[in-house]
Amino acid sequence: MLFPTVEYAVFFLAVLAIAWPLAKYVTGRKIFLLLASYVFYGLWSWRYVPLLILVSLFAAVMAQAIQRSGDTQRRRRVLVVGVAGCLLVLAYYKYTSFVLLSAMGLWGLVGRAPVWNLPAPFLPLGISFFVFHAISLLGDVYREKLREDLHLLDALLYVAFFPQLIAGPILRASKFIPQLMRPCDATKIRVNRAFLLILAGLFKKVIISNTLATRLVQPVFAAPADFHRGDVLLAIYGYAAEIYCDFSGYTDIATGCAMLLGYRFPRNFNAPYTATDPRDFWQRWHISLSTWLRDYLYIPLGGSRKGTASTYANLMITMLLGGLWHGASWTFVVWGGLQGVFLVGHRLWAGSSSAAVLRLRGRVWWPWASRVLLFHAVCLGWVFFRSPTFGVADTMLHQLGVSGSATLASRPVVVTLVIGIFGQYAPRMWRRGVEAMMARLPVGVNGLVLALGVFVIEVLGPTGVAPFIYFQF
Amino acid sequence: MRGYQRFSTVKQMSGGMGVFVVLALLLESGGLVNWAQRLELGPERTCALPLVMALHRGVGWMGLEGLRSDAIVELARIGWSDDPEAIAKAREASSAVPEVASASQGTVPKTPPPTMKAKVRVAPTPRLQLQPLVGDPPLLSVLPKIPGVRPGRTRTVALVGDSMMAVGLSSTLLRESPKYEDLELVKVFKSGSGLARPEVFDWQTEYPAMLGAVRPDVVLVAIGANDGQGFVEDGVTYEFGSAEWVAMYERRVEAFLALLEAGGATVVWVELPPMESDAYDARIALINRIDYAVVKSSRKAVWYSTAGLVGDADGQFKAYGEVYGTMARLRKQDGIHLSDDGAVLVAAKLLPWLAAQQTSAQIPSRVRKVAEP
Repeated sequence: MLFPTVEYAVFFLAVLAIAWPLAKYVTGRKIFLLLASYVFYGLWSWRYVPLLILVSLFAAVMAQAIQRSGDTQRRRRVLVVGVAGCLLVLAYYKYTSFVLLSAMGLWGLVGRAPVWNLPAPFLPLGISFFVFHAISLLGDVYREKLREDLHLLDALLYVAFFPQLIAGPILRASKFIPQLMRPCDATKIRVNRAFLLILAGLFKKVIISNTLATRLVQPVFAAPADFHRGDVLLAIYGYAAEIYCDFSGYTDIATGCAMLLGYRFPRNFNAPYTATDPRDFWQRWHISLSTWLRDYLYIPLGGSRKGTASTYANLMITMLLGGLWHGASWTFVVWGGLQGVFLVGHRLWAGSSSAAVLRLRGRVWWPWASRVLLFHAVCLGWVFFRSPTFGVADTMLHQLGVSGSATLASRPVVVTLVIGIFGQYAPRMWRRGVEAMMARLPVGVNGLVLALGVFVIEVLGPTGVAPFIYFQF
Repeated sequence: MRGYQRFSTVKQMSGGMGVFVVLALLLESGGLVNWAQRLELGPERTCALPLVMALHRGVGWMGLEGLRSDAIVELARIGWSDDPEAIAKAREASSAVPEVASASQGTVPKTPPPTMKAKVRVAPTPRLQLQPLVGDPPLLSVLPKIPGVRPGRTRTVALVGDSMMAVGLSSTLLRESPKYEDLELVKVFKSGSGLARPEVFDWQTEYPAMLGAVRPDVVLVAIGANDGQGFVEDGVTYEFGSAEWVAMYERRVEAFLALLEAGGATVVWVELPPMESDAYDARIALINRIDYAVVKSSRKAVWYSTAGLVGDADGQFKAYGEVYGTMARLRKQDGIHLSDDGAVLVAAKLLPWLAAQQTSAQIPSRVRKVAEP
């Protein structure tokens, strides 16, 4: 069930109407929300609800075993088994085909590879997200970041909670489970902020992302040889705006819905295209994933504690695996590799004591120049991220060298592109100002604003509902 | 608590949500009717459609639907909206005179062609009775010789259909076509469309509008992936697979084929490939049989089998196959659409066949993008 649909609106209103009267029955409310989450997932495919239950049950049982054991060695063994089990599930559903085809490709380099017609597992929706939640549960319990005794119901609901189930944000067990354990405060709901988040999310997803996808990005990436520099460059910028608005829009709606239910989600995006360097970018883009990778992969690998070479290697490994998490394809691995190269390159640059570098960094225009450079470096990565094959990516980059105007620069494309990218430069005070204005109005007027906003978005948006990009992960 | 932060109680939130729901229902009654009409036949549609129709009738006196229609027409006028159906419906609702088409539609002329001013319904070929279904299509088909083009002209090929054309197949054809001279490919597809639900997307109206002034020599069509469902026509419900449904769908396929052939185009009907899900595959098999029967009865149309190209020895679904000597995934993970590699197998015979019909004129191929919704 996609967020910007009538079906989801009806579902969510029904859940909201039942969840709050149940607020004083903490356990009953959680059972209801868990069942609602399974219904939410089942409306996509009932066949995979048992998988969701199995993964979360497995992680919960393992986490409880870790928590109850006082023996360090045993805790570590259970952690390893738990994480391995979760990763095996992810590997089977997501990477079987990738591994098989890559192996056959390697075989083909030395001889004629056989062609096996093996079953190809169907990729369950959101599997990358709920497996990562399961691993976060195990990790936080092992590191004793979750101090409270873990109850099965809390663990199951943490993994399956429907606003974040299929495209994040990736919640930390140590932050979210305590919220589940406490009764929700029926007097402290930030309704105005939730409404604004939902409106902003719908606008970003339905207007900006869908418009750019259908009118610019899809046509160019489908057949890049038909287009020249102007259109190709526009499409690359367009994809940068599309993926940001698509994903951050979804996160905003998820956060707003959770807020109305009395829960807080962490911020997942913080104006990433205003970043001045790769490290800054990853502190602003998909924050829940980048911190997950930092805490559960980069730091256990050694982080920056074991010398420069080790640090660079750990960064590369983390980003390569991060790329692979996004998709079972070598283009995603290359994207991750590029991110790793940018991060390593930035460390070298930041650590340089060369006079020329110091002079450059001291220039007053340098922050803006670095923003432009970084944005284009990120866009280079997006070419591989979006291209289905290396051939398409190669053609896209090649066509940048073929002069030609931007024939797809229609009014809706230009307007949505400008808003999608430069909207991130809007001062935070503006957003706070809108929120303050909404806060001064009666809540009923907030409802009026939400209704009018949904109406405007529906009229402005293209017909049909394009799925969220991150659903494929 | 900071100035912009405000906490509300559940009661206040309920009030706000209540206002939202009431206003949204009033403002969006027309949109809700559109949504309900697009639902597949089933309990959801049975419940939702009467409710939203009653709502729409009940709030009609407020004139809010006119507000919505005027907004859509105005958006079309300033070049924002790109959906011909929405624009046409909005113009009907507000009785506005059709003006300029959307400026975002690339090569679409600014003054709409005459066919846009009224719904054009191509009558099916007169016959006394419907063509009986002739059985399953062959695993592989032979492509016959088709008339060549005059020297100095290019062969214009329209790519028509739903997502079976839009995803995988069209992009592969477009990427590979520059290798073949004198071919001009025109994109005329719409994901999510079909022949079963014209109220969602009416090909009889949309196809001439999407083509504009283009007159294709050949039409490659892949359609039907969304047609495995029942529909309602003139108040009568046709359950998928019933004899009445088959007869009605066959009429629609005939009418669609006649539409595509109007102007002298040779239609190449691309078979829908075998599907991973058994239940869905059975539906698609019926649709393929109907399509095959209609194509066989046409003097000019050509059937292009895909089961033997991307299926196993029995024409059943297979995920992997050999492409250019290496093992590749032939279908996307949804088990429905062709992957790029699968589409290469399907396109491998089509493009050389289209190009082989050429005369010796050496004109570089190019692609025109026409009215792609």
